[in-house]
Amino acid sequence: MENETKNIINELEGSDYKYGFVTDIETDVIPKGLSEDVIRLISAKKQEPEWMLERRLKAYRHWLTLKHPNWAHLDIPEIDFQDVIYYAAPKQKPKLNSMDEVDPELKRTFDKLGIPLEEQMALAGVAVDAVMDSVSVKTTFRETLREKGIIFCSMSEAIREYPELIQKYLGSVVPYTDNFYAALNAAVFSDGSFCYIPKGVRCPMELSTYFRINAEGTGQFERTLIVADEGSYVSYLEGCTAPQRDENQLHAAVVEIVVERDADVKYSTVQNWYPGDKQGRGGVYNFVTKRGLCREGGHLSWTQVETGSAITWKYPSCVLLGDNSSGEFYSVALTNNYQQADTGTKMIHIGRNTRSRIVSKGISAGRSQNAYRGLVRVAKGAEGARNYSQCDSLLIGDKCGAHTFPVIESHNPTAVLEHEATTSKISEEQLFYCNQRGLSTEDAVGLIVGGYAREVIQQLPMEFAVEAQKLLSLSLEGSVG
Amino acid sequence: MRRISFDTQPIGAAVVGTGRWTLSEATPSRVTIEAGAEVELIIENQPAKLQLTLERDARLRVVHVITEAGVHSSLGVNLRENAECRVAQVITAATESGVEVSLAGSGASFELGGVFLLSGDQRCGVRVDVRHDVSDCRSRTLYKGVASGSARGEFSGIVYVAPDAQRTDSEQLSRNITMADAHIATRPQLEIYADDVRCSHGATVGQLDDQAVLYMRQRGLSLEMAKRLQIEGFVSDVVLHAPIAECCETLVEILHEKLQSL
Amino acid sequence: MLKVENLHASVGDKEILRGINLEVKAGEVHAIMGPNGSGKSTLASVLAGNEKFTVTAGSVEYMGEDLMTLSIEERSRKGLFLGFQYPVEIPGVTMANFMKLAVNEHRKAKGLAPLTAAEYLRLMREKSAIVELDSKLTARSVNEGFSGGEKKKNEIFQMAMLDPKLAILDETDSGLDIDALRIVATGVTRLKREDNATVVITHYQRLLDYIVPDYVHVLYKGRIIYTGDKSLALKLEKEGYDWLINDYKEE
Repeated sequence: MENETKNIINELEGSDYKYGFVTDIETDVIPKGLSEDVIRLISAKKQEPEWMLERRLKAYRHWLTLKHPNWAHLDIPEIDFQDVIYYAAPKQKPKLNSMDEVDPELKRTFDKLGIPLEEQMALAGVAVDAVMDSVSVKTTFRETLREKGIIFCSMSEAIREYPELIQKYLGSVVPYTDNFYAALNAAVFSDGSFCYIPKGVRCPMELSTYFRINAEGTGQFERTLIVADEGSYVSYLEGCTAPQRDENQLHAAVVEIVVERDADVKYSTVQNWYPGDKQGRGGVYNFVTKRGLCREGGHLSWTQVETGSAITWKYPSCVLLGDNSSGEFYSVALTNNYQQADTGTKMIHIGRNTRSRIVSKGISAGRSQNAYRGLVRVAKGAEGARNYSQCDSLLIGDKCGAHTFPVIESHNPTAVLEHEATTSKISEEQLFYCNQRGLSTEDAVGLIVGGYAREVIQQLPMEFAVEAQKLLSLSLEGSVG
Repeated sequence: MRRISFDTQPIGAAVVGTGRWTLSEATPSRVTIEAGAEVELIIENQPAKLQLTLERDARLRVVHVITEAGVHSSLGVNLRENAECRVAQVITAATESGVEVSLAGSGASFELGGVFLLSGDQRCGVRVDVRHDVSDCRSRTLYKGVASGSARGEFSGIVYVAPDAQRTDSEQLSRNITMADAHIATRPQLEIYADDVRCSHGATVGQLDDQAVLYMRQRGLSLEMAKRLQIEGFVSDVVLHAPIAECCETLVEILHEKLQSL
Repeated sequence: MLKVENLHASVGDKEILRGINLEVKAGEVHAIMGPNGSGKSTLASVLAGNEKFTVTAGSVEYMGEDLMTLSIEERSRKGLFLGFQYPVEIPGVTMANFMKLAVNEHRKAKGLAPLTAAEYLRLMREKSAIVELDSKLTARSVNEGFSGGEKKKNEIFQMAMLDPKLAILDETDSGLDIDALRIVATGVTRLKREDNATVVITHYQRLLDYIVPDYVHVLYKGRIIYTGDKSLALKLEKEGYDWLINDYKEE
C-alpha cells in the first residue's frame, strides 16, 4: 500500500494540467460516462503525446455520429454507453497466500485443464514470492527477444517509445471509421499489446499475452497491433484456457495485423470468458474486430477456439491485398447452456492469385445458438483467386441451434470458390459403441467432439492444443445424458 | 411468347384437381390442390403471385420459364402430409424470382432444379427459401447460374429447420460460373434448430474445368466449342431432369439458344 | 511420321524433358518405358500440345510439318491422338454427342461433309464393338461414373472413332484387370495399319505381350537412354531398371 501511494503522488506531481480542468487523479475510478473530458483524462493518465490524443478525439467525434449495429441473430440487451467506466487504474489483484485460499471450483477447473501448478498460482493471484520460476522464465524470454530486435510490449509503452511505428501502422488495417466498435475502441482503448518483428527475423518462440501481463487485469477496450516486417515470422497466442472472470461485462477489442511482403503470421486465440451461469446471467459480452492485411506473398492464419462469453461476436478477417497472398481461418466455436455465438470470417481477395481457406466447426449444446457468418469476396482485379470453405455444425441435444450464413461474391471470372456445410449430431450408435467399450458417456462425447474438431485443434501450438482439447470436454459437461 | 405449347387449362377456381394447367388473369392468388391430385403447372413468361397449398398426397410438377425481361414472380408452396412438389425453373432474362416453401406435413417432399443464364447487362435475383416445420420431410434445391458480359446474378436461399423437425433430409446446392465481367453473389443459408437431421449445403463460383477443356481440344474441338460444350453440360442436367418430360426438349432448346449469346 | 530432335521442355522453371530424340515411322509400334518421374507423361503431354508445358529447345516434325506451331485441336485434326492416363469426367456432356462433334470437326478439317445421324450411329456401333464397350455407356456423360477399366476402353473407343495417324497411349494399361487389358490391347492391335503408328507409354511388360513393339525406349530423367527391341522389355520386367541406369553416365 505504501508503494502505491508513492506512485500516485509521483504521478500527481508530474502531471500536466494543460487541458485546464482539475481532476482528482488520485482516485482509481473515474465517474461513469463518456465525454471528451474523459478521453482527455485517459490520455493524460497514460502520458500520451499530443498526436495520440488527437487521434482519440477524432475517433470519438465520429463515434457520436454512429448507431449501434443490429445483428439479426443475436439477442443483445441494450448497452448504455454512459453506464460504463472508461478508465480504471491497473488494479492490484488481492494477493492470496497459498493455493488453499483459491476458489475450489476454479482449482478444479485448473486441474482438469492440466495447467501446471506455477501457472495456476500466477493466474489465481498467489503471492509472487512463491512463484520464483515464473520470474526467471520471463527474464530469459525478454533477453532473447531483445537480441533479435523484436519489440513486444504494451501499447501504452509503444506509443511512448516507438511513435514512428505506431503512427505508421495504428489504424491502417482497422480505421476508426470502420464500424461502431472500432470507433469506440479508437477513442477509449485502455491498453493492449504491440509487437514488431523486424525484416527477415523468425521469432523463435510463441509470443503470448500471458508474458506481457504482470498480474494486472485485462482492460475491456484492448487495442493490439502486430507488425511483421518483410520476410518475418511470428506465432502469437492470445488468451488462455483458464476461465477468466471479469466484472467488465463488455469487451470491445480491436486487433490489427500487418503482414508485410513475404511475412507469415499465425494468430491463435483460446478464449474462455465467463459464459454466465447456467441460466445465462452475468456473462461477458465479447465484441472484437480483428483484421489482417497481407502484402505480396504474405500469409496470415487465424485459429480460434471459443468456448466462453455469453455473447461472442467476432469475425477475424483477412484483406488479401498483395499478389500471391493467402489467408486461413480455423475455428471451433462451442456454445452450451444459453450462450450465443455469431462468428465467422471475411476473406477479401484483391490482389492476384490469392488463396483463402476456411474451416469452421460449430458445436452447439444445451439451449445455445451457434451461427457461422462468413463473407468471401473477390474483387474485379483478383485474377486467379481461390477459396475453399468448410463449415460444419454438430448439434448435441435438440434444444439448440446451428446456423450457417455464408455470402460468396465474385467479380472476377477466373476465381474458383467453393463452400460446403454439413450438419450432424452425435448419434446414439456412436455413444452405444463407446459405452460398450467401457467409456462413460461424458468421455465418449469428449472423444467424438475432439475428433470432430481435430482439424482445427491441430493448427494450434502444441501446449495450447492439448489444453484446448480438454477445454472442449469440460465445456460440454452435463450436455448429454 | 409461348414456346411450350401443350393443352393447358388456365386455373380459374380456388381448388384444382388432376390435370395440366397454366395461369391466367382469372387465377386466384390462393389455390388449393385437392388431396391425391396429380397436377402439372406450366408458367411461361407470366407474372405470378401465387400461394399454392397441396393437400395430403397431392403431387405438383411445375415448369417455370422466364425468357422475357421484367416478368417477376413470387410463388409460395405449402405441403401437407406426403405431398410432393417438383419444380424446374429456367431463367434467361432479367427478373426477380422468389419461391417460398413450407413443408407442413410429415413425409412431404420438395425438389427444385433451376438455372439462370445471363448475358449483356442483365440482372437477376433468385430466392428459394425452404422451411421444414415438421419432421420427416425432404428437400433438394439445386440452382445453377452462368453469367457473362457484365451481367449480375444473385442466388439466396434459407433452409430453416424448426426445433421439432427431426429426421429432416435437406440439401441445397448453388453452383455458378462467371465469364467476362459478370458478377455472381450466392448466399445459401442454414438455420437449424433440430438435431437429428441431415442437412448440407454447398456453393461454388468457379471457372470451367481446365482438364475437361484440354481433353476436348485433344479430340479436335476448338477452344470455343469445348467451353460451350462444357457449359451446356453444366446447365443441361437441370433441365434433363425436368418434372414434366415433354418440356425437356423445349427447355434444352431455350438454353442452347441463350448459350450462343454468352 | 514423327521426328523429335533434342526436345527440351519445362513446367514452370523445372526442366523435365532434357533432350529427347525419337523417330517414329508409319506402320511402327514404339514402346516407351521408364521409372516413375522420368518424364513419360510429360512427353505425351508436350506432343499433344498441353499449354502447361513450355518447349525450351529442340524441334518436333510431324508429317512434314512443324508440330510446335499447331494448337492442340489442330494437332488432333491432323491425326494425333492422345490416350490420357487419367481421363477426365465431363458431366452433362454425353459420350455420343461429344464424339459426334469431334468426328465432324475432323471431317471438316479434311474438307468432308459432316456425317448424317444415321451414318454416325452406324459408326458408333461399329467402333464400340471393337472394344466391347457397352453401347449404353455412350448415352452417359463422358467418363462419369465409369470404372477405371471402362475409362481406358473409352479412350480406345474414341481412338477407333477418330482413326488417328499417330496414337500416343499414356499408361493405357494402368489399373486394368486381365480381361480389360486384353480388350484394350486387342482394340489397339485391330486399329494398327501400314499407314498409322502407335507410341505406347507403359510401366509394365504385360501390355507388350499383346501389342508387340518394334522398338522399346527407356526414358530416364528426361532423356531416352537406351533403345532396344521387344526383348528389352522382357529384360526390364525381370531385372528392373537398375542395371541400365547404372550403366548410364550423366554427362
